[in-house]
Amino acid sequence: MAVFEFRLPELGEGLHEGRIARWLVKPGDVVQEDDALAEVENDKAMVELPSPVSGKVLEIKAPEGTTAVVGDVLITLEVEGEVPASAQPQAEAPAQAQAPTPKAPEPAATAAPAAAAPTAPAPTAPAEPAREVLATPGVRKYAREKGVDIHLVTGTGPNGKVTKADIDAYLQGAQSTAAQAAPAATADKPAATAPVAAGTDAEPEERVPLPNIRKIIAAAMAKSKYTAPHVTIMDEANVTELVQLRQEIKPLAAERGIKITYLPFIVKALVAAVKQYPTLNASLDDDRQELVLKHYYHIGIATDTDRGLIVPVVRNADKKNMWTIAQEIDDLATRARNNKLGPAEMKGSTISITNIGAVGGMFFTPIINYPEVAILGVGRITERPIMQNGQVVGAQMMALSLSFDHRIVDGALAQRFLNEIKKLLENPRLLLMEV
Amino acid sequence: MVVGEFTEEVDVVVIGAGPGGYVAAIRAAQLGKQVTVVEKAELGGVCLNRGCIPSKALITAAHHYEAAKTQPFPGISTPNVELDFAKVQAWKQSVVDKMTGGVKTLLKGNKVNVIQGEAFFSKPNEVRVMSEHEGKTLRFNHAIIATGSRPIELKSIPFGGRVLSSTEALTLDHVPESLIVIGGGYIGIELGQTYAKFGSKVTIVEGTPSILPTFDEQLSRLVIRNLKKYGVEIYTNAMAQGVEETGNGITLTFTVDGKEQKVTAEYVLVTVGRRPNTDDLGLEQIGVKIGEKGLIEVDKQGRTSVPNIFAIGDIVPGAALAHKASYEGKVAAEAIAGHPSAVDYRCIPAVVFSDPEIGTVGLSESDAKAQYGEIAVGRFPYAANGRATALGATDGFVKLIADKQSGVLVGAQVIGAEASNLIAELGLAIEMGATLEDISLTIHAHPTLGEMVMEAADVALGSPIHIVSR
Repeated sequence: MAVFEFRLPELGEGLHEGRIARWLVKPGDVVQEDDALAEVENDKAMVELPSPVSGKVLEIKAPEGTTAVVGDVLITLEVEGEVPASAQPQAEAPAQAQAPTPKAPEPAATAAPAAAAPTAPAPTAPAEPAREVLATPGVRKYAREKGVDIHLVTGTGPNGKVTKADIDAYLQGAQSTAAQAAPAATADKPAATAPVAAGTDAEPEERVPLPNIRKIIAAAMAKSKYTAPHVTIMDEANVTELVQLRQEIKPLAAERGIKITYLPFIVKALVAAVKQYPTLNASLDDDRQELVLKHYYHIGIATDTDRGLIVPVVRNADKKNMWTIAQEIDDLATRARNNKLGPAEMKGSTISITNIGAVGGMFFTPIINYPEVAILGVGRITERPIMQNGQVVGAQMMALSLSFDHRIVDGALAQRFLNEIKKLLENPRLLLMEV
Repeated sequence: MVVGEFTEEVDVVVIGAGPGGYVAAIRAAQLGKQVTVVEKAELGGVCLNRGCIPSKALITAAHHYEAAKTQPFPGISTPNVELDFAKVQAWKQSVVDKMTGGVKTLLKGNKVNVIQGEAFFSKPNEVRVMSEHEGKTLRFNHAIIATGSRPIELKSIPFGGRVLSSTEALTLDHVPESLIVIGGGYIGIELGQTYAKFGSKVTIVEGTPSILPTFDEQLSRLVIRNLKKYGVEIYTNAMAQGVEETGNGITLTFTVDGKEQKVTAEYVLVTVGRRPNTDDLGLEQIGVKIGEKGLIEVDKQGRTSVPNIFAIGDIVPGAALAHKASYEGKVAAEAIAGHPSAVDYRCIPAVVFSDPEIGTVGLSESDAKAQYGEIAVGRFPYAANGRATALGATDGFVKLIADKQSGVLVGAQVIGAEASNLIAELGLAIEMGATLEDISLTIHAHPTLGEMVMEAADVALGSPIHIVSR
């Protein structure tokens, strides 16, 4: 018998830490090699950690919610015979950095400090001192429903009793100056809490720790926007034919069990266009002042999920037919929403598409998925009257926005590139040549 | 896996059908949830079957018996008072059956599914339910644990034989000739006084300096006076050492100030508190944090450290009271339904069905003083109230405690007839933020005990009508 210490392995290229989202085993469980031990959230995905050994779980060293760094001992297992060479057992695990509990602290701390808590007799133990806030249970409930911290509301009733109307007034912002007239109970709040309270008139606010994924999105967006000088050009494509074509394909797609959207067409058009204008399928190596032209076509598809924006990648889109692409986009999007993408599936795109059309909207200025040099933004398709050969006709118009890195791409080039995409989307038959 | 075992998908599962669990189940059902209740014994839990309700039935019977026997009403003679204890117990059981039947009807009416069996959590979203012959697994979205508590057993005086817990004390088939009660808390006092009224020679052995140690001395004093009237002997600062069963009795050895004493009786009843039923549920293995004294840690909605599992009642910190459990049950059910409910009360009333009855709510006088500095106190005696006098119940008083500065009521204590009912108004007053003046200006019907509440407010304000101000 020996003790095996399982350490956080490298989760993927450049991923040095992961948050233990959930343990799938508990002390005493017997696990086989390759059984999943835990779900670990890294970068943008949730991955399962397989056990490298068979044995019995002794102790979980990194509780759920902890962020562990590669090499940290996560769990110890009792194994038969020798410990695999890969792990050298340690005598006593050093104190594990305890992650802060994920639960947000109770906001009760903002209340007037309770006078030296008396040792109340058990059966009558009051939950909170009555002086804290004078309000009827109904008003307290109303405040909860409205998301108002009743401690911050100035009561206008007798003895400073907070009324329903006070809650409403507070919500409308009518109370910001009234706070100075607060009764003694709230006045003795120390003024020194300025950095948190943001000013003396305490506006209701809440502090929510950023989830990992949000931090990553924030860092990536800031880096891109501050590094690459963005320019966005906008144009419209008359996609009447494409709309018809999709309608015709729909039943065929249904037979194959595939959900056909406009995205596969746009992917194909984009690939065709970058082949013609390779500068758009590139990145800038700033250190060496070299342009890296990519002769592979990995298309990032920005996907909206509950957890935030995720960009799974359709690899080698030039070598796949539209059915495959449609299927792949559907699969990637579903798994992105279910938090089941592997880290590799969100890496290595050479140019990206962001589609807000499903939600609405037309033109916008998307942020480049750095270090790529351009991103194609797709807006809603709307049926509108347009002039054609002197006639007013109805047409399906698609809004296109192309943001590009002006360090690499100039405006004329970008417009030519966009024209090419437009041409293909307006004449979907031309896409045949690209399949 | 056992043959025939299967996993059932449920939405909300409630473990325990006591006053916390069944209330939580009904509220969750009202809010559109599909609810399954798992109960290992009877619907209604300890409260309806082995606690609140049967004890109140026996207390009522004892009151009638004792009143008829020893203090017949002026002008009424009751020459041959006889006690048929078996009939009393049968009547008590009929009260219990009526109440548990009511719970059954309510659960059914709210389409709550009830499963008989013992629950054991195997995963954060799975609970195994074992009944006599079969087991099944329920996979749930949310769970509410409401398993309540059980009497604490003394290591040196284990239950069994002539050592009773409150459960057995409620189901005796005869009135014991003598009874020793270890623990003078409210359960010990209620049961001890009841059997004293039925005719038992009762001895109470309490470890602290006073019986009813969590109540003000002014309150316990009146109860002690009454206990002595029934020949109850009370030992305080007394530590029980052990028992020895003899042929027809049991002898308790205890020490007072280091001096050993012995007392013999037919039975020993141990009522030294209750402990939460959190030990055999598999909670720790699924990550539910259990803190001091086996109590489950919860947030203001009753959520445990496993976010889809809630806990309410005696198994979470706070007083072990049925009405607290019911309140928490509603909050947890609403939280599960996505409502922003939270445990948010100013006060929880506590009542003791001693004779005279005790009801308290909010802060005691000393706690109020500690918290508010200056306080206003108004005390009005039962003896000055018309209805109390006409009831022949002149023992007791109503006391109101307010913040002097604002006049806001922060606590109240009632001892005397119907104190358990009178305290309700005072709990409402505290929750509503009522002042002494508000109470004084509320017309109370004459002639009622409730008038004393109004009068006590007047006393605190310095202008009572029916007693002469100091």
